[in-house]
Amino acid sequence: MAELKIITENWGKINPQKIEDYLHTGGYTALQKYLKEINPFDHLREIQEIKISGLCGRGGAGFLTGQKIEAVFKEKSAEKYFICNLDESEPGTFKDRMIAENNPQLLLEGIIILSLIVKAQKAFIYLNGNFEKAKELLEKAIADATEKNFLGENILGSKWSLEIEVFQGAGAYICGEETALINSLEGNRGEPKHKPPYPTQSGFLGKPTFINNAETICNIPWIILNGGKAYSQIGSKCSPGTKLYSIGGAVARPGLYEAPTGITIAEAIDLAGGIKKGKEFWFAQIGGASGKLVLEKDLGERLEYSRDCKIPCGSGAILVVDKSVDIHEMLLSWTGFFRRESCGKCVPCREGTFRLFEIAKRLQDGEISERDEKAIQDILFILDNTTYCPLGKFAGVAFKDALENFRDQIFKKEKS
Amino acid sequence: MYKTVEKILLEFDPEPRNILPVLNKLSANFGFINEGEAQKVADYFSVNLTKIYETASFYDLLQTKKEPPLVVKICSGGNCATENAFKILGVCERFLGVKAGDDFNPKKKIEIVSCLGKCAEGPIMIVNGKIFEKVKPEKVSEILEKYI
Repeated sequence: MAELKIITENWGKINPQKIEDYLHTGGYTALQKYLKEINPFDHLREIQEIKISGLCGRGGAGFLTGQKIEAVFKEKSAEKYFICNLDESEPGTFKDRMIAENNPQLLLEGIIILSLIVKAQKAFIYLNGNFEKAKELLEKAIADATEKNFLGENILGSKWSLEIEVFQGAGAYICGEETALINSLEGNRGEPKHKPPYPTQSGFLGKPTFINNAETICNIPWIILNGGKAYSQIGSKCSPGTKLYSIGGAVARPGLYEAPTGITIAEAIDLAGGIKKGKEFWFAQIGGASGKLVLEKDLGERLEYSRDCKIPCGSGAILVVDKSVDIHEMLLSWTGFFRRESCGKCVPCREGTFRLFEIAKRLQDGEISERDEKAIQDILFILDNTTYCPLGKFAGVAFKDALENFRDQIFKKEKS
Repeated sequence: MYKTVEKILLEFDPEPRNILPVLNKLSANFGFINEGEAQKVADYFSVNLTKIYETASFYDLLQTKKEPPLVVKICSGGNCATENAFKILGVCERFLGVKAGDDFNPKKKIEIVSCLGKCAEGPIMIVNGKIFEKVKPEKVSEILEKYI
């Protein structure tokens, strides 16, 4: 069977600036099909299709999209909002930026269909502040789609309207968390809020808000066209579909690859041409800076979203580290990242990430004391169990794995 | 380019969700947000000055202090770290004579930044907004010399 590609199929073949190119490849047929078969009093069929498909959020947590859409749909508010989460800043991940730069119309089509299902009149695309090129392309795409009446007032002669606005963030990792994202959109500091109430009940301006990752949204047109059942046959059983893997590090061809979920880590590395010549595999990290480390013996683990899998798939980033890399530099990279990006709202995360970074610096300089060795365990425990939002919880994951597996290399450093 | 704050404010409605876009434009246009400008923004949105600084100080891309003429940013994401990003940082620190993160020197500053999503082209070094890809540690001084 030929590789099935849902998102990347037309990348490179179409010009992202031209809506005509997208229409030639069958673009917006899903929207037309949806509007033709629509029953204004009952969107439950589309929601049922999405539920059957088993599609789950591609941002990292893997929450079922069908459940989320049903929760927003059931809210009886006249005003609802839709937000596309494109604030991608997980280290090593660049899938959402590539979507916006290669096929922005596909993303728009998905946003339009989902917004119409939940009856949102306004949609935002929350874009990472660094993605200048993506911003230009998305704004051009929105203008083109409005001109062809796929967007704006009375879409394709129906009685529904939708407005999409690109909102650029200002470089904060925590704004990928949905409540922090809403805070940022309202003009506040991007600090997370308490859940519940969930954004599906009370989100942007206190109204029900449907937040989705850009990659999740791009699967929607395919599901509308081919049905949820067909989608549920692809890839692994617990989280069907295809996934974009951003593979980097010591591989022959680093880049973005689309493959079904449930492939093993070794297969994913083979997609990128295997290990680079002359390099020796040491470990891999799955899901960016907050991801777990994978040693050679675990390369057969499957990449999927489920509660009991050993290696969570996360954002789909795979970093291959070879034996020439100094583990201390990796520790500095992880701890420094979380120290910078901790929002400062809760003490365990603000202090824990800072102290962990200091210890990583001392490890690098070979000035580690016995007291530090004990402190590491305490900090890791507190980060894991007491922080307010998931950022703190994941801040120590890679450090802990490294400590378990490479204890000798970490502590055996001559004073430089 | 905008000459005054008012010109930027005219493009936006005074709704809270426009605060961040206004600050983004302000910072990009004038290099940093000074108190006089921030006060005008606060008046326009009918909020306190503290509220504007509260938001502005949170985000990495918004500057609340004047930037020195030479700013070197080095990506330290996992992918760049495996490609010698920290060795490049070491060369930069020695060459410029400042440590990363110090901002007391009025002429130059080295910053470590989080992943910019250019992982396949790493390691990434940004000098005064110009992006250098696949930087080699031995080429760093060659790049920096042009900016001194």
